[in-house]
Amino acid sequence: MPNFNIDSTKENTYDAIVIGSGMSGGWAAKEFTEKGLKTLVLERGREVKHIENYPTTNMMPWELKHGNRIPYDLKKENPIASRCYNFMEDSQHFFTKDKEQPYIQEKPFDWIRGYQTGGKSLLWARQTQRISDLDFEGPARDGFAVDWPIRYKDLAPWYSYVEKFVGISGEYDGLDILPDGEFLKSMGLNGTEKYFRDVVAKKYNNQRHVVYGRCAHITENKDIFIQQGRAMCQTRDLCRRGCPFGGYFSSNSSTLPWAQKTGNLTMRHDAVVHSIIYDDTKEKATGVRVIDAHSKETVEYYAPVIFVNASAFNSNMILLNSKSNRFPNGLGNDNGLLGKYVAFHNYRVSINAEYEGNLGETTIGRRPTSAYIPRFRNLYKQETDFLRGYAAGFGASRRIEQSSEGLGADLKENLMKPTYGNWNVGSHMMGETIPKEESTVTLDSEKTDQYGIPQLRINLDYDDNDRKMIKDYIEQFTEMFEAAGFKNITVNDVPDKAPGLDIHEMGGVRMGHDPKTSLLNKWNQLHACKNVYVTDGACMTSTATQNPSLTYMALTARACDHAIKESKKGNL
Amino acid sequence: MKRRTAIRNIGLVTGGLLFLPSCNFSPDRVPIVLNKLQISTDEEILLESIVDTILPETDTPGGVALKVQNFVWIQIDDCASPKQQETFLAGLRSFNPLVRERYYDDFVSLDLEKRLEILTSLLQADDTPKSVYDFLNTTKHTSVWGYKNTAYYLTKLMPYQLVPGAFSYKTITINPNEKININA
Repeated sequence: MPNFNIDSTKENTYDAIVIGSGMSGGWAAKEFTEKGLKTLVLERGREVKHIENYPTTNMMPWELKHGNRIPYDLKKENPIASRCYNFMEDSQHFFTKDKEQPYIQEKPFDWIRGYQTGGKSLLWARQTQRISDLDFEGPARDGFAVDWPIRYKDLAPWYSYVEKFVGISGEYDGLDILPDGEFLKSMGLNGTEKYFRDVVAKKYNNQRHVVYGRCAHITENKDIFIQQGRAMCQTRDLCRRGCPFGGYFSSNSSTLPWAQKTGNLTMRHDAVVHSIIYDDTKEKATGVRVIDAHSKETVEYYAPVIFVNASAFNSNMILLNSKSNRFPNGLGNDNGLLGKYVAFHNYRVSINAEYEGNLGETTIGRRPTSAYIPRFRNLYKQETDFLRGYAAGFGASRRIEQSSEGLGADLKENLMKPTYGNWNVGSHMMGETIPKEESTVTLDSEKTDQYGIPQLRINLDYDDNDRKMIKDYIEQFTEMFEAAGFKNITVNDVPDKAPGLDIHEMGGVRMGHDPKTSLLNKWNQLHACKNVYVTDGACMTSTATQNPSLTYMALTARACDHAIKESKKGNL
Repeated sequence: MKRRTAIRNIGLVTGGLLFLPSCNFSPDRVPIVLNKLQISTDEEILLESIVDTILPETDTPGGVALKVQNFVWIQIDDCASPKQQETFLAGLRSFNPLVRERYYDDFVSLDLEKRLEILTSLLQADDTPKSVYDFLNTTKHTSVWGYKNTAYYLTKLMPYQLVPGAFSYKTITINPNEKININA
């Protein structure tokens, strides 16, 4: 039955295939379908429809059986997921359970995954800071990794393009390290945060900045959001449950329904990508080999352009597992660098203290962002004994003390007499880490997962640069806190806290000018296989300090534009 | 004792005498369904009585009416480790024998005032066996947490808003005469 094969090939052929429906995959889906490309999005997890499949989103606290605590058995079965700050009773269903995808930790690494429609865009911390030229120029200036093949001017219009659609609450700060974007109204810093901002500005002659943390929340009604069916953020601060208002950006609330409306989107769930198919005679990738998560059957899909947005380490895995005569070591891996130079953000340390001033004020309500302190170390030249630097989060909230002394009527009465204490202030570091050749993800030669796909080996750790940076963060923030008169300064360093909980793993398929030293060109195309693009965290040449999702979205939109133009020219 | 408290306590005692304790001792009571813990009806009644002592009915509903005892059982059953469960049950099981030894009666049959006195003393005294102390301490803190997580507390006493509305986060000047809502 030769016709049968031709028909099924035809049936499984699209104009574009996007692997992954998360933060960046959702953008690829939107861009392609909007431009009329019949697009297949492959998602390895289950379907999570916006609102409909947010089971806890409208629950009152008393409706959660365990008071939002994770039951013992669930915790025990999921030591990795349990270490994530956001893994709670009301959000645990959006986390991939440990046994779904075992991996090998050559060194401890907590790999947090979210396999479902929208991926981790349902769970992200929604901080959206642009990367600047002080970051893009870092590797070339400081002599690590390779030079980024792009600069801020290449990405700036795409940042704007993405921000207008996503909706970013922000303030115009005019800082070179943190370029301004397309902002909606700010939800504001509170009085104590402003006080700290002023103290820091004064003490460091306006060389250190405490700004409002830009975040992907809608704070103004605009037509573009109404068209998406999204409303203003209602400051529930329950984002991890999925937002019924679409107040924060996720693929589920925004890009995927948008792509769906074009009629050009096909979503295939429970589709675990095994590898990308490379045709030695055509000298290009022709499709994707998929294993059905339930039946374990293999299906092939075909398209002239393939976007890899599976999440940083999974994108590495897929390319490493895509072996052909032309690419025996993984797709595009002529130089042997695929899976190398991976890195993360160093989130190991936080500092807490108390502020005894501003006692006449408090805050009410729940704000889904806080203050942000952009990197101030080694901005224009090397000044410290470590490379690069760190950004930091900062927040202040008034402490309310509620006594649970006594028993009986006394206890009940005590509970009804809360009093204001000092302000709690806190900061956490977000350190840039240096991508190194010895930091790798590789495929194990023996162990496979339940789909027969080789397990990932992760070999990544803190290094001396990270440790020096931690020391500096502690010293500098202690000094800044002391300058503000903060008391009871407490440093929380957990040396055995493995990398990974930043959920900012990056690299392995880095961008660069030269095919000898990088995998992707400046358009995110594989140097050696131009119809395959990688635009998630895997493409990052260096990590910068900013929360990276916004950059992945901008890179994706830019790469889609390129792919469409190139395919019209017949270049793919 | 302050006059108001004294009056209220009299009210409580007489209330207890008139309307019987809020615990349900009837043999046809429906036992709580738990996943792991094997407990008897007597043990359920005992925990209920302890919760009733920790958070009695006053001018607002008590812990038992708000089913705080169920919250405690579910926490221990689902969220505690096997070792914590063992400790909890060991404490629970040596609690009443200790009460009988010292006060010559079953805890559940004593009036609220006496029960309150017993719990207060066991939580304060140095010679309280560790297992009993740990059990009472866990029960108290879990009860307080459960109480603060009830619909009553979160709507009537310290109202929680699921949907505060756009721009509800604000810096405000404190009015010292205004009651503090910890969930505002």
